Amino acid sequence: MYTELHARSAFSFLEGASLPEELAEACAEHGMRGMALLDRDGVYGAPRFYLAAKKIPIRAHIGAEVTSTAGWRYPLLVASRQGYQNLCRLITGMKLRAPKGKGNISAQEVAERTGGLICLTGGAEGPLAHALEHGGIENGIACARQLCDLFGPGNVYMELQRHLSREEEARNQASVHIARKLDLPLLATNGVCYALPRRRGTLDVFTCIRNHKTLASAGRLLALNSERYLKSPAKMERLFADLPEAIANTQELSSRLEFSLNDLGYKFPIYPVPDGETQMHFLRERSREGMIHRYGPSNERARVQIERELTIIEKLDLAGYFLIVWDIVRFCREQNILVQGRGSAANSAVCYALGITAVDPVGMDLLFERFLSEERGEWPDIDLDLPSGNQRERAIQYVYERYGKLGAAMTANVITYRGRSAAREIGKALSFDIETINRLTKLVGAWEYKDANDTLVHQFRDAGFDLQHPQIRKFFDLCLEVQDLPRHLGQHSGGLVVCQGQLDSVVPLEPATMPGRVVVQWDKDDCSVMGIVKVDLLGLGMMAVLEESLQIIKEHYAEEIDLGRLPANDPVIYEALQKADTVGMFQIESRAQMSCLPRLIPKCFYDIVVQVAIIRPGPIVGQMVNPYLKRRQGREPVDYLHPSLEPVLARTLGVPLFQEQLLRMAMIAAGFTGGEAEELRRAFGFKRSEVRMKAVEEKLRIGMDRNGIKPEVQDKIVRSITSFALYGFPESHAASFALIAYASAYLKCHYLPAFTAAILNNQPMGFYQPVTLLKDAQRHSLKVRPVDVTRSDWLCTLEKNDQDFALRLGMRSVHGLRVEIAHAIVNERAMSPFLSIDDLKLRVPAIQKSELTTLAKIGALNFIPGKSNFHRRDALWQVERAARRPGPLLETLEQGKEFATEPAQEWNVEKNNLDPAPALSPLQIMTVEERLVADFNGTGMTVGPHPMGYHRQRLKKQDVRSASELSSLPNGIHVRICGAVIARQRPGTAKGFVFLSLEDETGIANAIITPPIYEKYHLMIVHQPFLLIEGQLQNQENVISVKAEIVRPLSVTQAETSSHDFH
Amino acid sequence: MAFASIYVPNFMVQTIVRAEPDLRDRAVALVDGCPPLWKIIAANEAALREGIELGMGGSQAQQFCKVEVRHRSPEQEKAAHAALLDVGWSVSPRIEDTAPDTIVLDLAGLTSLFESLENIAAILAERSCRVGVRPNIAVASNIEAAIHAARGFTGITLIPPGEEPERLSPLPVEVLLPSTEIFETLQRWGIRTCGALAALPVLQLSERLGAEGVLLHELAGGKYCRSLILAEPKTCFVEEMKLDYAITELEPLSFLLHRLLDQVCARLEARSLSASAFCLRFGLRDSVEEESEVKKKSSVSIGESRSYEKMLRLPVPMRDSKTLLKLLRLQLQSDPPNGSIVKIILTAEPARPRAGQKGLFVPDSPDREKLEVTIARIAGLVGNANVGSPQLVDTHRPGEFRMFPFSPASEESAGSRKRESTSRRTAIAFRMFRPEFLAQVESREGYPFRVGFRGARGNVIAASGPWRTSGDWWETHGWREDEWDVEIEFDSSGHKKSSHRGAQNGLYRIYYDWMRRGWFVRGRYD
Repeated sequence: MYTELHARSAFSFLEGASLPEELAEACAEHGMRGMALLDRDGVYGAPRFYLAAKKIPIRAHIGAEVTSTAGWRYPLLVASRQGYQNLCRLITGMKLRAPKGKGNISAQEVAERTGGLICLTGGAEGPLAHALEHGGIENGIACARQLCDLFGPGNVYMELQRHLSREEEARNQASVHIARKLDLPLLATNGVCYALPRRRGTLDVFTCIRNHKTLASAGRLLALNSERYLKSPAKMERLFADLPEAIANTQELSSRLEFSLNDLGYKFPIYPVPDGETQMHFLRERSREGMIHRYGPSNERARVQIERELTIIEKLDLAGYFLIVWDIVRFCREQNILVQGRGSAANSAVCYALGITAVDPVGMDLLFERFLSEERGEWPDIDLDLPSGNQRERAIQYVYERYGKLGAAMTANVITYRGRSAAREIGKALSFDIETINRLTKLVGAWEYKDANDTLVHQFRDAGFDLQHPQIRKFFDLCLEVQDLPRHLGQHSGGLVVCQGQLDSVVPLEPATMPGRVVVQWDKDDCSVMGIVKVDLLGLGMMAVLEESLQIIKEHYAEEIDLGRLPANDPVIYEALQKADTVGMFQIESRAQMSCLPRLIPKCFYDIVVQVAIIRPGPIVGQMVNPYLKRRQGREPVDYLHPSLEPVLARTLGVPLFQEQLLRMAMIAAGFTGGEAEELRRAFGFKRSEVRMKAVEEKLRIGMDRNGIKPEVQDKIVRSITSFALYGFPESHAASFALIAYASAYLKCHYLPAFTAAILNNQPMGFYQPVTLLKDAQRHSLKVRPVDVTRSDWLCTLEKNDQDFALRLGMRSVHGLRVEIAHAIVNERAMSPFLSIDDLKLRVPAIQKSELTTLAKIGALNFIPGKSNFHRRDALWQVERAARRPGPLLETLEQGKEFATEPAQEWNVEKNNLDPAPALSPLQIMTVEERLVADFNGTGMTVGPHPMGYHRQRLKKQDVRSASELSSLPNGIHVRICGAVIARQRPGTAKGFVFLSLEDETGIANAIITPPIYEKYHLMIVHQPFLLIEGQLQNQENVISVKAEIVRPLSVTQAETSSHDFH
Repeated sequence: MAFASIYVPNFMVQTIVRAEPDLRDRAVALVDGCPPLWKIIAANEAALREGIELGMGGSQAQQFCKVEVRHRSPEQEKAAHAALLDVGWSVSPRIEDTAPDTIVLDLAGLTSLFESLENIAAILAERSCRVGVRPNIAVASNIEAAIHAARGFTGITLIPPGEEPERLSPLPVEVLLPSTEIFETLQRWGIRTCGALAALPVLQLSERLGAEGVLLHELAGGKYCRSLILAEPKTCFVEEMKLDYAITELEPLSFLLHRLLDQVCARLEARSLSASAFCLRFGLRDSVEEESEVKKKSSVSIGESRSYEKMLRLPVPMRDSKTLLKLLRLQLQSDPPNGSIVKIILTAEPARPRAGQKGLFVPDSPDREKLEVTIARIAGLVGNANVGSPQLVDTHRPGEFRMFPFSPASEESAGSRKRESTSRRTAIAFRMFRPEFLAQVESREGYPFRVGFRGARGNVIAASGPWRTSGDWWETHGWREDEWDVEIEFDSSGHKKSSHRGAQNGLYRIYYDWMRRGWFVRGRYD
């Protein structure tokens, strides 16, 4: 029986064309009992291969092709755990000392780490082929001997591959000769690069990408034929009918490869506790202290819950993990870095007591099993939200320092080919010109939802391409084939793994692009499956906004705000929420959220938790939103799927909205344990498999039968679980987010200048473009001042304005202006004010003409000369001269002085160059439209009136209503609205409906585009920056929108406004 | 001093319309490139109004049913430009060939011939229309003012001397063709017209925009004066002969060709030039039989003439009429015109004569002219595509090669190649059959067992393979082959060698072509 022992997956990055799962499946289809995956210089695909193989089941042998200093590769198979550790260390060694993506190993290095490894002589890229090519049979014999010396005679196999090539067969003859001479076992392999023959095209394209060639110019770099697919044992036996021992030896070698990835030998680091203490005891003490701090000394419920959790933690030996996370949080607190745990960790009272999370799971009656259970046998997952940027980096560096370079590393993020990246690279390989590639790339993946008319043929035809054309068809097929195949290894944004001792013996480490960072070769899911503990230190833009807001408030208002002690149930906040006045607020600012808020009418914190969770695909697909809202408004009776579920569903009025409810439903209705219920959630979760779902559903139904639940009720329960598990939010996570949402709402409502400055300083983030945030703040009476080089800093700042503060835009918003230039400007003006634009140019010599021009164009230089009538064009006039200084000769002429009469000593260039009072220019002042264009072009926003504001009189005559007027109009009337399109959405759950948000000077109006109207006005809706929409006004429960009947483009300004599209 | 500028707006579209006058009042868009990667590069007003956009894909443009989509034609552009020059030369001997779409005429002294400047402009407009283009014409006292006025104003514009600033004032600055950088600066300054630009103080402008700024300032004010850059009459040597009677035989044609060649070569000699190429064009008339055949098949009228063109590119410049005649005769023998000849146009491309000296001790190689005649003779026998030096192509496709024009190597490189060839040793030679032979192959258990080709059949006594190659899967002409090396013993038993039509016992390479679904013999190992 044949076993394939040399296969590459797509994790060889452009040298393989099938995912490990596909290889494993093909293996199973051929009835093969095992396979070895040898990716190039890594074990990137090993966990996925191992998992796929485990399900089938087949034996997943691990190995790698490791590049030698001479360029060829050692095909190494792992026989034992020692071998695996040696392989990981070999790869780590070569990777860490070389630039990213490079590296090789010398024979000496190999010699130090051969234990537990078996070496094959390889195919065309192996050591033997190289030796034969460079010195014939004698050299081949020497090479084989050297390998035997390195790995031991029993650990070298003479590899034979047959891809129906004369050259290869000649090599095989030589290999057999050498094997007979040195008494080495023969081993047949197919040097597999893909699972199926048709994948050869993908491999050829990858070869082109790797070599920066096109298919037409790649020549013999491309594959000779399509024979590197996973062949069946019967085929391989036929191919090697003359050498049956080569086939037989695959089985023999497979049986020698004892190592499996479940035997990694990973150990979580031990947290250093004071002498005489155990980790568990230390954790108990910290939890007790925290409990007293959080709950007070006499909260029995909390004490019992914490004790229960600690018991499980002790049983699972997880004390060290909790202490390490606690240690990171403690560091952040000490360093004044905002930190908050999110996700299921918020279900743990211990986490709450330790200060890791901010939501009280006892008070909210959250389900601990969603976080941790004895049955699952998995590490818990704690995610920490930190302010994005430097603060998060400080926390990451702390972990590195604490656990050492080989003790902590970031998890990888495998970058895969997605629509656009695939289109771009395949277009290049097919020799398409750049413009065509751009047009094709734009076609890919624009909308989330695709209706029947959105077929690709339709889309391609619209863009001027005929899918029937063979080249375009080939492009399209290849694009589909490379989807999801790995492209390169990136770094996960926040996942850190830590290990007791040597992490490099568990998984190879690589340098990341970011200096000082090291990444493991597996992504976070692989790490989690392999039982490696990770802590996610995630950067959250809103955390950075909150932190910066607090800082600004402290500086300008002289107030210290503790986000943990914000006034509960602040009426101002709830008033804003009920009016859907939530632009800029965390998680509740989107159009969908805004359209729900006036119906949900939040009145307390828990309502915000619901609000955060309800606008999710789970509740929407599960049709739970409307029943919940109706029940809340008393328009539908509160009803429960089964009376026994009332305690679980009571607080969401009988409608399941959270994952915890799903778990509890299973526990109550079917008698599941907490762990079983979590298993159920996973079965129905993202990586759902039919078999697994069926098995769990059966178990669920048996349980419900046992509890006497009728089949029709069972159906309902199963249906709600099925539709919900995929996209539902855990209540704990929603609560964590709701806390941040509440904090952002509080700051926006009470400290608008500080909040607006902070949110603009942390762009891009959130749902809206900066201009929308700015206009919203202005509508809330915030005075905003433009960028001014005599006043602005890099970031937005506050300036005293009568009783309140005005916001001064920072130079950060100026397109193309470098941060170092902005800082130089600020430093120079601190020493003495700029006398003129010439003076600025002289004192900040690194400033480029384009930067000066942009500053002049947006009016940021208007205030330098101190003349009230100095306008942007005057500045542009001066800038052009400042950027191109004339020589002294012309300088003199300009001043009307005679060169001959000037005393030589007065030729002080510096002095002459300064023009303390530059003349105004001969240029005309910019028109309003020109200023608008300049503002949007230079900063993406304008502090002046909204572009729509200039046209209101004209629009009024056309009977166009402003956004603010709509709320006072009766439902059902025919209206016209218009504005700048700030958001275009076509959610996957909305059956082809498109939602537009139109902004004018009074606010935001929403329009609903039905599929037929979208079809009719497709191009206009997608491309026009300003639209006029006519249709029926819908005012349902204060949710106002216009159902479009006619869509027209509107000519308002040439300014390049931008919108948030297609999400 | 007066100058007239002729400017053809939307030149590329106009050249197409010139060839197809029916398109004059229709929406026309031009594409460039090959499908599927073709794009709109020009369109007339009517097409733009229909929604055509520059840069749009060709297939997309074809969806506009009211728009006529045509391919850009550099030849027609060249012809239109030549026609424009002809219009110019028909009025003034002093012409500037400013751009493909623009020429300038010096009108000095012409009023005595054509009465007035207005009259000249009208004549130019009329003659331009006659050659198929509709230009803008402007007359001014300086060249640049005339050019800019022609670019900016439609129809005929006459600018009296001294009125240039006022007249150019409303024109957009784009007509001055400023560099992108300066144009952007002017846009930022809000300077959109020539008048606004001319009003700026020149010294301050020079500080800001440098020399180009000053030049633009002068241009905008219509003050810039320069000399005409005279266009030289084309060094195009064309000899043309209309025949009173049609010629169908090569001999009388050779006689006429010889005469023409003699004339052209004499002219070339007078200018101390040779020719690098000759273009031979015949105006053809269909024979009576052909005419009746054509009538049956199509609506083409009998009087409609066809043409025949033959390009003779020479590896070295020549002007020996005898040699040239031999080459032309050989070309005509290999590819005779399909019809009787009524017109002959012979165009020579002039080039500098060849000058060179061989080494004193270098053996004499064949004379280049004679060699060229020999190659042309061979090409006449085997076809042009089959003459040259074969070169290997970087592909796995078996036996693939390309023919490159034969060019004798220099002495030095020939020597080095010789050395190289002696250093390479080959164990076995493979004699490739071109074209390959169709074969009949019987297989047993996947192995070729009996092979027959060219009338002989034999048993396979040893086989090695299959050796599989495939590729070019992204093209329509992809390939997939299974090759076998087989030792064949042919049926003419008892003889070691079968003489049956050259089929000898021995080692052959046969292959199964998966695309053509058949067996072939590729060649034989020596």
